[in-house]
Amino acid sequence: MLEIQSLRKVYDGHGRQVEALRDVTFSVGDGEFVCVVGPSGCGKTTLLRTIGGLLAPTSGTVTVAGQTVSGPPDQLAVVFQEYGRSLFPWLKVYENVELPLKAKGMPKARRAELVNQALASVGLLGAGTAWPWQLSGGMQQRVAIARALAYEPRVLLMDEPFAAVDAQTRADLEDLVRSVWRETGVTLLFVTHDIDESVYLGQRVVVLSSSPTTVVEDIRIDLPDERDQLNTRGLPLFVELRSHIYSLIQKAKRTADTR
Amino acid sequence: MSQTVAVLKRVGLILGLPAVLVATWWFTSADSQEFYQPPLSKIVEVFPKTWTSQRIVDDVVPSLGRFVVGFLLAVATGIAVGVAIGSNRALRAFFEPVLEFLRAIPPPVLVPILILVAGIGNDQKVLVIVSGAIWPVLLNTIEGVRSVDPVLVDTCRSYRVRGALRLRMFVLRAASPQIMTGVRQAQQIALILMVISELVAAENGLGYSIVQFQRGFQIPEMWSGVIVLGVIGVLLALLLRLVERRVLVWYHGVRAAERSQR
Repeated sequence: MLEIQSLRKVYDGHGRQVEALRDVTFSVGDGEFVCVVGPSGCGKTTLLRTIGGLLAPTSGTVTVAGQTVSGPPDQLAVVFQEYGRSLFPWLKVYENVELPLKAKGMPKARRAELVNQALASVGLLGAGTAWPWQLSGGMQQRVAIARALAYEPRVLLMDEPFAAVDAQTRADLEDLVRSVWRETGVTLLFVTHDIDESVYLGQRVVVLSSSPTTVVEDIRIDLPDERDQLNTRGLPLFVELRSHIYSLIQKAKRTADTR
Repeated sequence: MSQTVAVLKRVGLILGLPAVLVATWWFTSADSQEFYQPPLSKIVEVFPKTWTSQRIVDDVVPSLGRFVVGFLLAVATGIAVGVAIGSNRALRAFFEPVLEFLRAIPPPVLVPILILVAGIGNDQKVLVIVSGAIWPVLLNTIEGVRSVDPVLVDTCRSYRVRGALRLRMFVLRAASPQIMTGVRQAQQIALILMVISELVAAENGLGYSIVQFQRGFQIPEMWSGVIVLGVIGVLLALLLRLVERRVLVWYHGVRAAERSQR
């Protein structure tokens, strides 16, 4: 569903070249849930913007559903990190979710159906007439998720979507993303800097090195499909995977420091 | 009960200073023998005789008509051109020096030039208004469009919100607080220029009437015209505030939400 092949990105600015991505290759199967984790400042956002077609790579290719990405692909939706800034403050919650559907030229009745369905699946059916800024951070991010779901993408990209919410809200949102993924069968690529979160959520975790970024390891997460905050995080396998990834990232950081 | 007190307090705050000023004017001018500074009581006395419905039709309505046309034309052109220049870096670099020059010209000096170009009719007076009132709208729109949030730009690109929908739902809305600032300034400038355009080569209008009264030594009548102008200015500003309250509901909400978080 999503193929990333030898992706390289060099920023050219003020006579200085910065290599953000060196060589990133991995793929995400249809309906798979993959997390990308790496040390802070490892070019995660660059990677995600390139996959989302918002940034042209220096070399290498991204393929979404068999089509090479050269601009934002129509099968793909993004949930941005800055939830407070990615919702339109002059549109009510309902209109925010509806806007991309209007852009698709969808008839009104169908739009209403999809918007209400999406709002219901994130537990915000009653909040359609609220303004985004009347909602808490966690609820705003739910609206952003609803907007992505209503768009009916085949691939959903999430860029550290819970980085700015408190721990409890974060746990709720993680479970929400899991359940939405299982219900819709969407292909999900979730970028995070939180190792626990990546192991808890994904079927696979792709570990990145420090910038200039390469893939350090691609790890299967063989945890049971039914996950819950209390038990899953206590499983020996969870702890093992977590420490493994932790040591990988520590190593990646050290090599970055000595370079 | 406490609510009534609160309302009274607000009314008192709003009307307090105007009441004091009017009272001061009234009493200090009461025995004035100065020909050019007649007692306020005298001005009030001539007011109904001066501002008859006939004069309102002959002078106030044409003035306001030219004001409305000039102001709306300035706002519409300013927004349209501002969006075009603001969304394009090359256009901006190209136009900015010229705009800075044109803006620096005081609009009243254009009156004689515009008389040469556009004659002395309504067109010329509307042009005078537009030539001054367009700048705050234009420059604020450029600034507002230029400084849209990059995350929302990405959001629009990702969700393929483009063209007219993007303009209507994103660009204009995002720039609307800045645009409204420009529109408020434009309203004040337009009113001033409405009067100025009627001081030279005019045959009707508020500014024309005031000058006529002055030349005919009808000093209380002249003063009453100034009062009419003041009242019109206040009413226009109030009207604009009502419009702004509707257009910028979200903006004031965001600001209030940010304040309460701190």
